[in-house]
Amino acid sequence: MSRKLLETEGPKWVAQGIITPQQREQLLALYPEEERVVGLLPLLGSLLLGLSALSVVAANWQGLPEWLRLLLLLGSMGGAYAGGEYFLRRRNEALGMGLVGLGLVLFGCGIILTSQLYQLIGYDATGLLAWVLAGTVLTYLYRSRTLFILTACIGGIVQGYSTGQLGSFSYFTAALTVWGLGYYWWRRPDGLLGLVLASSLLWQAGLLIGHLHAKITWFFIPAMLTYALGDWQPDRPAARGLQTPPLAAAFLFTLGLALYGEADTYAGMLRPPFLAYIGALLLVLAISLAGKYRRGRLGSATDWLLLLPGFYLHGGLALAVATLVVLYAYSGSVLWRAHQENNADRVTLGTVLFILTTMVAYFKLTWAFMDKSLFFLLGGALLLGLSWFLRRRNARALSAKQPQP
Amino acid sequence: MTDPTTSFLTHRRLVGLAVAAQMLFILAVAGAGYATTALGRTITLRTTPVDPRDLLYGDYLRLNYTISQVQPALWRGPEPPQKHQAVYVLLQPTNGAYEAAGVYATEPPAAPDQAVLRGWVTDSWRQGIRLRYNLERYYVPENSGAALEKAGARRPLLVRVSVAPWGQARITQVGEVRK
Repeated sequence: MSRKLLETEGPKWVAQGIITPQQREQLLALYPEEERVVGLLPLLGSLLLGLSALSVVAANWQGLPEWLRLLLLLGSMGGAYAGGEYFLRRRNEALGMGLVGLGLVLFGCGIILTSQLYQLIGYDATGLLAWVLAGTVLTYLYRSRTLFILTACIGGIVQGYSTGQLGSFSYFTAALTVWGLGYYWWRRPDGLLGLVLASSLLWQAGLLIGHLHAKITWFFIPAMLTYALGDWQPDRPAARGLQTPPLAAAFLFTLGLALYGEADTYAGMLRPPFLAYIGALLLVLAISLAGKYRRGRLGSATDWLLLLPGFYLHGGLALAVATLVVLYAYSGSVLWRAHQENNADRVTLGTVLFILTTMVAYFKLTWAFMDKSLFFLLGGALLLGLSWFLRRRNARALSAKQPQP
Repeated sequence: MTDPTTSFLTHRRLVGLAVAAQMLFILAVAGAGYATTALGRTITLRTTPVDPRDLLYGDYLRLNYTISQVQPALWRGPEPPQKHQAVYVLLQPTNGAYEAAGVYATEPPAAPDQAVLRGWVTDSWRQGIRLRYNLERYYVPENSGAALEKAGARRPLLVRVSVAPWGQARITQVGEVRK
């Protein structure tokens, strides 16, 4: 039962005499209004305010004497933090956190504008590292989701600048994201923060792979380590949040492999040294499986189907078909598990993945196969069979669970 | 917001400390600017206008140095230079300005009259290596932009750069060549 349903349907129930207006009020009181969307507003607000302040000052920047510019930077930052504290003390969480977030944004602007003021050249990301560090410290101090998300974004920006402009990967930023934000998430598990954390980690892992000019498949070692961390997390929704980005990356990669893997030139670009890569992957797999076993989620081990290193197969159609089989097996397993858990969202996800796979298969096989009709016959039969099976199970499961409290 | 830490480290004090540390950091960046001028040695670089018709982009000047593009023969690394690679450029005074004497992958030893500037490879091909020093933008002081633009259109400008012993560098002055 959700508040939204009560709000929209309630008056009808009252009119039909199912419940009295008093009972409707009582029911509404049971489901207090959530401030989920409102929670994002201060973040946006602080970003916009920061940008506007920046543009106003930047327009007159050159005309101001040096000491005034420094004072302006320090004053606005200190003012934002003080304002944040003021409103937090008055229990205005949203505005208070927004102002603290603004303070953090202004700190970064302060670093950048001061180095520009003195025409200083950044040879490494030291100056910006302080920004990530400050964000991490403030996240812990305020225990704030807003600051967590802001810090994850700042970390991503700093890492992008460091690898893109300064030509060096900032291991310190990566470590701060892993240990600072990672530990925070571990202690205060949260689905959305898991999603943000994993995305930030994947982004930085991608930058590292690019920086090292390594085979892109190495990306999946840190990505699946992130995934494995989710396996050890006792909080299920939080774990799911953390595991979604790595799985999405693995699925897209496998999809790409199904499309282009046939050309051996492409598959050749993906092959890291066999023993080293497989060894690392098996190690991560072991960590992941141990976590799954510990938390009683071994059923989700099917996720690892996506990591089957098919690119070691020597090109040709065999690789494409093998990859498609894997994709079908994976999306099938998602559907099957969704059904086991009676999870409507996941049924949708599984269906979408299944359709995506079928589309790729279609594109792939209309070009390559002559007897594609047989394959589509099988695919169609599989799809129809599955939908019939799922619908029947769904109906049965629902009827079994009819008298739900 | 109630933290059961020791009575001294209250939430309020910790926040105060964090904010003070950030302010100190910004002041330290400013201090690094002063220190680079005070303790660094000044080298003079020759720069040619990027585009004489439109030298000024907003409030900064775009500078293109004689050391922005060097001969491939100057490369002293073990492997060919790669894009985005960080490099050290050994500079030697010739005719009143410093010119590149070698481009290294690791910091080279420098003679007393030489200087080392850090930079990045932006492009490398058979005829040259293009380098970036992050000295390419000069944020122009009030009212000096137009004069510089006029001067730059006629002949090369001289740029004074302070290089600190710890490698930090900053532009301290941009001016005309004095005869």
